[in-house]
Amino acid sequence: MTDGLPSRTTLELRLRINGRDHALGLDPRTTLLDALREHIGLTGTKVGCNHGTCGACTVHVDGRRQLACLMLAAMAEGREITTIEGLVSADGTPHPMQEAFVAHDALQCGYCTPGQIMSAVSCVEEGHARSDAEIREYMSGNLCRCGAYPNIVAAIREVAGTSAAPSGGRSA
Amino acid sequence: MTATTASIQASGPTRRDARSKAAGSARYAADFPHGHPAYAALVRSTVARGTITAIETVRAEAVPGVQAVLTHRSFNRGLGDETFVMKGGHMQSSFMPLSSDAVHYAGQIVGLVLADTIEAAEEAAALVEVGTTREQASADMDAARAAPEDDEKAALCKGDADAAFASAPVKVDLRYDTPAQHHNPIELYATTAAWVGDQLTVNVPSQWVMGTQAGLAAIFGVPQENVHVECPYVGGGFGSKATILPHVVLIAEAARRLGRPVKLVVPRDAMWTVGSFRPATRARVALGAERDGTLTSIIFEETGQSSHIDHIAFPGSTAISRMYESKTLRTKQGTVATDVNTPGFQRAPAEASSFFGFESAIDELAVALDMDPIALRLKNEPAVDPIKGVPWSSRSLKRCYERGAELFGWDKRNAAPGMTSLPDGTLVGYGCATATYPSAMAPAAARVTLKGDGSLLVETAAHDLGTGAYTVLGQVAGEMLGVADGSIAVKLGDTTLPSGPMAGGSITTGSAGSAIHKAATQLRDRLADAATAPGAPFAGTAPSTLGFADGRVSAPGGVGHSLADLLAALKLGELAEDAEWKPHGMDDETASKGLGGGMAMAGPVSDVSSFSFGAQFAEVHVDPILRTVHVARMVGVFACGRIINERTTHSNLVGGMIWGAGFALLEQSKVDGPQAKFANADLAGYHIATNADIGEVTVETIPETDTAVNAIGAKAVGEIGIVGMPAAIANAVYNATGIRVRKTPILIEDLLER
Repeated sequence: MTDGLPSRTTLELRLRINGRDHALGLDPRTTLLDALREHIGLTGTKVGCNHGTCGACTVHVDGRRQLACLMLAAMAEGREITTIEGLVSADGTPHPMQEAFVAHDALQCGYCTPGQIMSAVSCVEEGHARSDAEIREYMSGNLCRCGAYPNIVAAIREVAGTSAAPSGGRSA
Repeated sequence: MTATTASIQASGPTRRDARSKAAGSARYAADFPHGHPAYAALVRSTVARGTITAIETVRAEAVPGVQAVLTHRSFNRGLGDETFVMKGGHMQSSFMPLSSDAVHYAGQIVGLVLADTIEAAEEAAALVEVGTTREQASADMDAARAAPEDDEKAALCKGDADAAFASAPVKVDLRYDTPAQHHNPIELYATTAAWVGDQLTVNVPSQWVMGTQAGLAAIFGVPQENVHVECPYVGGGFGSKATILPHVVLIAEAARRLGRPVKLVVPRDAMWTVGSFRPATRARVALGAERDGTLTSIIFEETGQSSHIDHIAFPGSTAISRMYESKTLRTKQGTVATDVNTPGFQRAPAEASSFFGFESAIDELAVALDMDPIALRLKNEPAVDPIKGVPWSSRSLKRCYERGAELFGWDKRNAAPGMTSLPDGTLVGYGCATATYPSAMAPAAARVTLKGDGSLLVETAAHDLGTGAYTVLGQVAGEMLGVADGSIAVKLGDTTLPSGPMAGGSITTGSAGSAIHKAATQLRDRLADAATAPGAPFAGTAPSTLGFADGRVSAPGGVGHSLADLLAALKLGELAEDAEWKPHGMDDETASKGLGGGMAMAGPVSDVSSFSFGAQFAEVHVDPILRTVHVARMVGVFACGRIINERTTHSNLVGGMIWGAGFALLEQSKVDGPQAKFANADLAGYHIATNADIGEVTVETIPETDTAVNAIGAKAVGEIGIVGMPAAIANAVYNATGIRVRKTPILIEDLLER
């Protein structure tokens, strides 16, 4: 410590991302989001608020959805991280959720889309896609400013195999 | 009622950029690699108005990795002049932060830290100490220190509206308020600038790459072609990225000084003050009518919030005055200056705010007349433009209402408020309102290339903000040359392409589309001429009789040749055509200014008046005790000329309606009075609609053949979706509860029984 400022250790760590190991030397304060985007070059994960309010940076950590801006890179060591780039299968086939987003026009500007898709995959895996109302609730951590919500719900409904449920809440 | 949105059923090619966006490979401004950039962090004023008397940067500069701390004392003052967009320039404001010791608004940039890492830059920015005098300031238009100013040029007058109002047998005279709102695209304002010699490359999310290029070239004193602005994808714009934001200049200057690329990702809270916002409005709407519903007087007086730095106004009068036939009309527009960053364009800037009050007042007049609000609107449909007296290029509002009422089930509405409920006691309300948006256009250029393999490349420096421009603009060329959508590539958002217009005012399809249509027509004619020349495969055939379809060219009754074979037979390699297009009636000088990156928009009135129209409906559910409002259903039927791609168009309109729901029930930037600043500057405090806030949304479009608006018959789409929704929801809330709320957002406390 000098002059009251924190020490400047560089943290050497290994992150396992999309099945591949990455050796990094980072400022200990580096978030998982900045590690992915600025240090590894995986820019599919987007930055939208840096404090957990928009969902654009959603990734999977050990198979569960996680906001990459709210996790330090150091906390992700030894865990399996999957980003939007890792959702495609080894032969390049897109994940069914990616296909469904394309088919249902579930995106406009596309900026929130990687986060939406990562959340959508989890939403189905968690068993939270049993009705349109449930999909809406469990997808509400991912903001879409273009307002693609109805088509996002339709895409998830298709992947979940949920039959089309009356979607407007109750009708008069 | 269908349980799915219309957009799913809508036809049209798949969004051209959908796969790259779903894969995460679409590259936005902050995604471009620039080696090892220096990272920037902002220091912003906590004081709203005053003078900087001290600025201490020693502790910040001591943070390891910090390269420089720029303040007004160290920032380069030798930069060229650029002006506010409303004064013919390209800037969001005429004020450039770091140019002096003056503080004009809270959140103003007063320092810029540059460091090797994001973490060091942010740490150091927090260590910069700024001493500022504190002078009286107000960010609230109701407590402004300045008096309102009249904008006499925006006023409209027809007959004696006040006398007609005084003598009208049925009348309403009401006031409506809308708050400041912020765009909040999910993509933050990110900027990376890199210099190589006197060549500048900027990756910035932009709705106007040509204007950004022209402005930066003027500021840095380099030729326009030395500035390369590159942003193929924009993560939501909504008007916020239409002009050059001041920090872009700061970042480019920092990169020049450091001799190294500099990258800034503006934090979410700073988005409230480093760009623009939708200003608050206060409106008076007075309507007079005969007992049969014939409107006799329309009075509309609106004041909008502006800043002390710049004067900017978004008069609702232009659109308001086109809605109804009335023998008299008077409008008054004004602004009031406040101590804020300068407001700017936000999705339907003039229309969204003004239609909340105006279309609510129409509903209130219908109640006073004991008349159905749709019948009242249709009774006063104007046959021609009520102000200019010229014909409409097309106006299918009546059909929008007829189809919308059918889709929505308007006949099930009980006009008596508070009388409809679900078995659990939830109150149900139905409401509707009209939407409109002018169809303006700007000059544009385009290049269409037919490649040797029969595929097409379409290039123009227009923009796809999520609107579908990549898809629609490719289709325009594809249908002219008979090329399938899968064989079309489109390049947008880059100043190395032929000049394109600002993506603002819902003009992209009509403007860039018209330029592409022209270039594609030239290409088709050139190919037809070559193919029918002596010795060519179609020698002897009249060029105009050749058919272009399914990637083939054929003479009448013949099988023909594939485009690839035809090009090979003609030994043409590939064929490219450039075209420049300008709106009908625009002079060459203005068009040339526009193509050079200046502001040049025309319309919607020349010898015809061109507006898009829509009828919008909402069903709200109000909790009888908690008074929460849920928008269970929205229906919108729009007439926007020719719809080139229903799929992307319907998605755009659905998104606009969801914006409208947020306008009605959620969105407001609250002002801290004593501090004179926006108090809820993050997405936890500023609510935009989430997935769970939105019920079923149904959109349809009425096909129109509009041969007057432009060559492709396309009217405005991008902004109309929001326009009628706030009033439709407010009118539905009244129908559910009997409580009329004349301000947005409509909150629980507005609906408590009085």
